[in-house]
Amino acid sequence: MKKQIAIIAEHHKESVVSATFEAVSFALELSNLTEAKPVIIVLGKSIKEMAENLSKKTGLDVVGIEGGPLEFYNAEQYKFTLKYYLESIDPEYICMTHTAMGLDLAPGLATRLDASCITAVEGIKSQDGKISFLRSMFGGKLRAEIMPKLKKSVITILPGAWKAQELDPMENGHVDIKAAPSSISTSRTITVKEAEEETLNLDDAEVIVAAGRGIGNEENLHLVKDLAKIFNKSAIGASKAVCDLGWLGYKHQIGMTGRTVSPRLYIACGISGSSQHISGMKDSQIVVSINIDPNAAIFNVSHYCIVEDLATFIPVLLEEFRNFVGTT
Amino acid sequence: MKILICVKQVIDSQAPVTIDESGKWVKYGDSSPFRMNRYDEFAIEEALRIKETLNDVSVDAISVGPPRVSSTVRKAMEMGAEKGIHILTEGDFFITPFEVASTIASYVQTNNYALILTGAMSEDDMNSQVGQVIAEILNRPCATLVMHQEIREDKKEVYVEREIEGGKRECLNLQLPAVLTIQSGINIPRYPSLSNVLRARKAQILTIEATAMNIPAKREHLVALSYPEVSSRGTFIEGSQREKAKELVSILHEKSLI
Repeated sequence: MKKQIAIIAEHHKESVVSATFEAVSFALELSNLTEAKPVIIVLGKSIKEMAENLSKKTGLDVVGIEGGPLEFYNAEQYKFTLKYYLESIDPEYICMTHTAMGLDLAPGLATRLDASCITAVEGIKSQDGKISFLRSMFGGKLRAEIMPKLKKSVITILPGAWKAQELDPMENGHVDIKAAPSSISTSRTITVKEAEEETLNLDDAEVIVAAGRGIGNEENLHLVKDLAKIFNKSAIGASKAVCDLGWLGYKHQIGMTGRTVSPRLYIACGISGSSQHISGMKDSQIVVSINIDPNAAIFNVSHYCIVEDLATFIPVLLEEFRNFVGTT
Repeated sequence: MKILICVKQVIDSQAPVTIDESGKWVKYGDSSPFRMNRYDEFAIEEALRIKETLNDVSVDAISVGPPRVSSTVRKAMEMGAEKGIHILTEGDFFITPFEVASTIASYVQTNNYALILTGAMSEDDMNSQVGQVIAEILNRPCATLVMHQEIREDKKEVYVEREIEGGKRECLNLQLPAVLTIQSGINIPRYPSLSNVLRARKAQILTIEATAMNIPAKREHLVALSYPEVSSRGTFIEGSQREKAKELVSILHEKSLI
């Protein structure tokens, strides 16, 4: 049998999350390099419709594994079920998105399958028939090339690193729905709670001014807020570090486990630019970054870079904005 | 009930990092600003809060790494961990998460811990793997990105809420013993009290040579490190603060943003 690449689909409320289609793009690139054949695996309580949609959208074969205990994602249930099923297709690569689900599942699954595990992958390198994977380290300041040493690898794909493609396949893939094997688990997922805070309208904002730990202290937040007020339809974003410090609520968080945004203008103030943050804002049309560290990784994804201390620079910038508005 | 916290020493995230001559790891020097991984501070705080709410709980801290790492083990003790364990490795280079997890799991196999806590990830390698792999090796359930935990009174189960995308939370029950990886923001880590600092200074750290433990071979190989391509770098606006501000205003106007 041809070697396979298994893509583990992620879904919430019976709808496949868009990052799964980015994982499909990753698998197609890997397939071109290795000639392994991608197959999508979707686990859940009621998944027939999702499996059929996936086969229609991608043209890939889809295996659905259905069972009551799979109603919610649960690491123990997923590992048990996937080990059972993956033994029969023996894939060379098993890939999923580097989301709360993927990072929860992948390392344990890899250990169980005696596989290598590489997380938050942003690129594939192929040299002399050998495949390695590229990922960020040290807050994006360095990039590491990691090669699996075992025959099988579990890979998580950083959201935003590959684009979901409109594949428009000639024909649908084959859909196969199986019943999950019964299992006893030491872990049981009860429910998924919706976000408590009202969601901020980051999606509709044309301009997002985002604050990072580099703003220095909570008192400097007003500078970021004043800057946002210059623009119509603007909103305040934040790095995870700023939310963790309690300077802004989590509803402002951009990046992994927060929001993914693509405004016309993104102004990053004192944000170092970890891959987790960048994955949430890299599709912004114009990125302006202000940071005192000239080596900050955020500058690698910025169109305009300003190396300055925010506390003194933003007041000058606000003055210039006001002068400009006054003269037009 | 015994709790083990896994801590890691990292270089401060603001410090510059340069690749060493081998091209396979970073150059550290005597003046490199090492400190505890921030995510692990949240794990320690959470363990200490469990100790303060339940009876008969003890908290130990473990770290795997070269000699420099012992200062981070001591920091964990200053925060309130009773026993510090340092698994001493040879050389100062990249250790894969599988190797770290195998080492810690091997220590746990001879020491009974009902709960193992780690930070959700390390700030340097950013793998988010060690906790999950420890759990798998020890055949225990694991929850990652934990934002809330409650140990049931009988200490047989823990209720956990983990952070998932869009501010939602997945709620689950895990049988103990279990492994939790703690998400930053779950609590506000404490500063060490003077009495704990004094106690920790005098305390012995249990040091075990990693070579004396039977650690399985690594499963991934770091081929090379590189600096991210700078081709995607944008324009650096130069000049005085005033000149930079004027230039930015003019650029944003050209793009019809103001």
